[in-house]
Amino acid sequence: MERREVTFRIKRFNPKKDVRPYYQEYKLTVTKGMTILEALQFIKDEIDPTLAFRAFCRSAICGSCAIKVNGFPKLACKTQVFTELDKFKTSLLTLEPLDNMEVIRDLIVDWDGAFEKMKELKPYLIPDPKVVPDTLDEETRVYPEELKKYDKFTDCILCTSCYSVCTATQIDEGYGGPFQLARLYRFAVDKRDGLKEERAKIGYVYDMWNCVRCEKCADVCPKHVGPVDAIMRLRGISIDIGLKDNPGARHVLAFYKSLMESGLLNEVLLPLRAKGIKGVLENLPVGVKMILKGKAHSPIMKPISEHESLVKLMKAAMEVE
Amino acid sequence: MEMVAFYPGCAAKGASKELYESTVAVSEELGIPLVELPQFSCCGAGVLEEVKDILDIVVNARNLALAEREGFKTIVTVCSTCLLVLKRTKYHLDNDDDLKEKVNNLLEKEGLEYKGEVDVKHFHWFLLDEFGEDELRRSVKKPLKSLKVYPYYGCHTVRPYEILGYEPSENPQSLEKLIRAVGAQPVSGERRLECCGFHAFWPNPKGSMILTGLNLKDAKLCGADCIVTPCPLCHMNLDANQGRALKEVGESFSIPVLHVPQLLGLALGIEPKRLGLHRNIVPVNC
Repeated sequence: MERREVTFRIKRFNPKKDVRPYYQEYKLTVTKGMTILEALQFIKDEIDPTLAFRAFCRSAICGSCAIKVNGFPKLACKTQVFTELDKFKTSLLTLEPLDNMEVIRDLIVDWDGAFEKMKELKPYLIPDPKVVPDTLDEETRVYPEELKKYDKFTDCILCTSCYSVCTATQIDEGYGGPFQLARLYRFAVDKRDGLKEERAKIGYVYDMWNCVRCEKCADVCPKHVGPVDAIMRLRGISIDIGLKDNPGARHVLAFYKSLMESGLLNEVLLPLRAKGIKGVLENLPVGVKMILKGKAHSPIMKPISEHESLVKLMKAAMEVE
Repeated sequence: MEMVAFYPGCAAKGASKELYESTVAVSEELGIPLVELPQFSCCGAGVLEEVKDILDIVVNARNLALAEREGFKTIVTVCSTCLLVLKRTKYHLDNDDDLKEKVNNLLEKEGLEYKGEVDVKHFHWFLLDEFGEDELRRSVKKPLKSLKVYPYYGCHTVRPYEILGYEPSENPQSLEKLIRAVGAQPVSGERRLECCGFHAFWPNPKGSMILTGLNLKDAKLCGADCIVTPCPLCHMNLDANQGRALKEVGESFSIPVLHVPQLLGLALGIEPKRLGLHRNIVPVNC
């Protein structure tokens, strides 16, 4: 069995005792196949009983052991030490608590804020009396094609990995959060739900248009949920139900219009189309500089070759069920 | 070398004209036969998905199918968002037969079919795959010695790995390899994989500028002489909006931001004008 000497550099912090966080190093021999969680447990049992971390199921389903390994969130129970060493070509792993949340102690963060936000978004079924029967005598049937719309978004295990890396969460306190908004979408397309697409209004209030599409949530999710996909669809629903007079929706519709007109994005008209006169004025100084550097095309654009064919396809796509 | 389909994307045809110019110049120098298809449409930058899922897929399946119709094996793009959108379309079509059939039924009416034979690469991936770091180094005529370069990846060439699959999203090295190949020195920045906020610019300009400002500040902190990025959208925020972004984070310095082919082009000894360096908003002294 292959063995390696590994240094674990762990961020320690006890707010009751420590003025500021510090790093402590632990050296141990790790055998092939050992997980980060097993290494943490070994340290706690054999070297330092004061080390605090959260863990429960050890099967990547309870979501409690997410921590940062060399800067990226991982479920400690699902992540093997050797895989991470090889990825970073190192013999040292830095373990830290997740970001975007307060540290309770060492590797344990306070989830309350994230879960409070989730509760505010009402991510539970509010039964539609027209679909869900009053008694348990009958079932509500959900067919595979209907389930497909939200199936993957039900796989979330609330590990908060996505929330911890979310760029929009870092810059906007009012932002709903990735896993939270994904749950909201999951009910917006559930035929048993009473609010259904009206839920997009909740997403709107919780700044879903401020998602920067950094794709971090999709990349770090240990369950491949991809919250960003749900957020994009929730935005789409908001446009469908008429929430069109905002910069996010107008930006989307500007792209659609551009493609229908010429097949290419009309960048010059984008500020006006996305934000009206305000958009033009806000961007005027930069716009003038760009025009002077020859970085602007004519506002009237020549259509691409075979543009008619693109238009036909776009219209046909809009007709697809 | 086999011909490759060139998908410049809308930014390189407009607000980032210098990216188009420098890509063409570098390709001529290295003998890369780029063919731009006049039928290519805008990829929709991911926002078509917000009009309707299938619309985004159909528009980009058309782009992929056009390249296949003309017999190309590879599409090369210089925009990170175009890359992700095209790769995502390919990923969905290649992994969902029902979807592929549905989309092909629509494409068929326009004389097109998506077979799944064409691959999509970013220009700098293509350079590394075709030439490798060593061959690129040998092509360098004017090594950019002692230049400290901040490799700013941004988002859409690295995440999500499941779709892009080129290099580990946690520790990509392609830009560092290119920087070393031109004789310069990559600096190690904490925010090289952070977002610039471009895609939330319209709903949240302040947030977008804060993110860009923090990225610029990190580059300065690392002692970088310039930043290089593979994405014209990141470039727009870092270069054209630099003053606004720095103001949001209480700073006022200036740092040049180069597109990948501009940096490479300088090392290949190409005239700055052919690389469109005069169009960069923050002046580049070369």
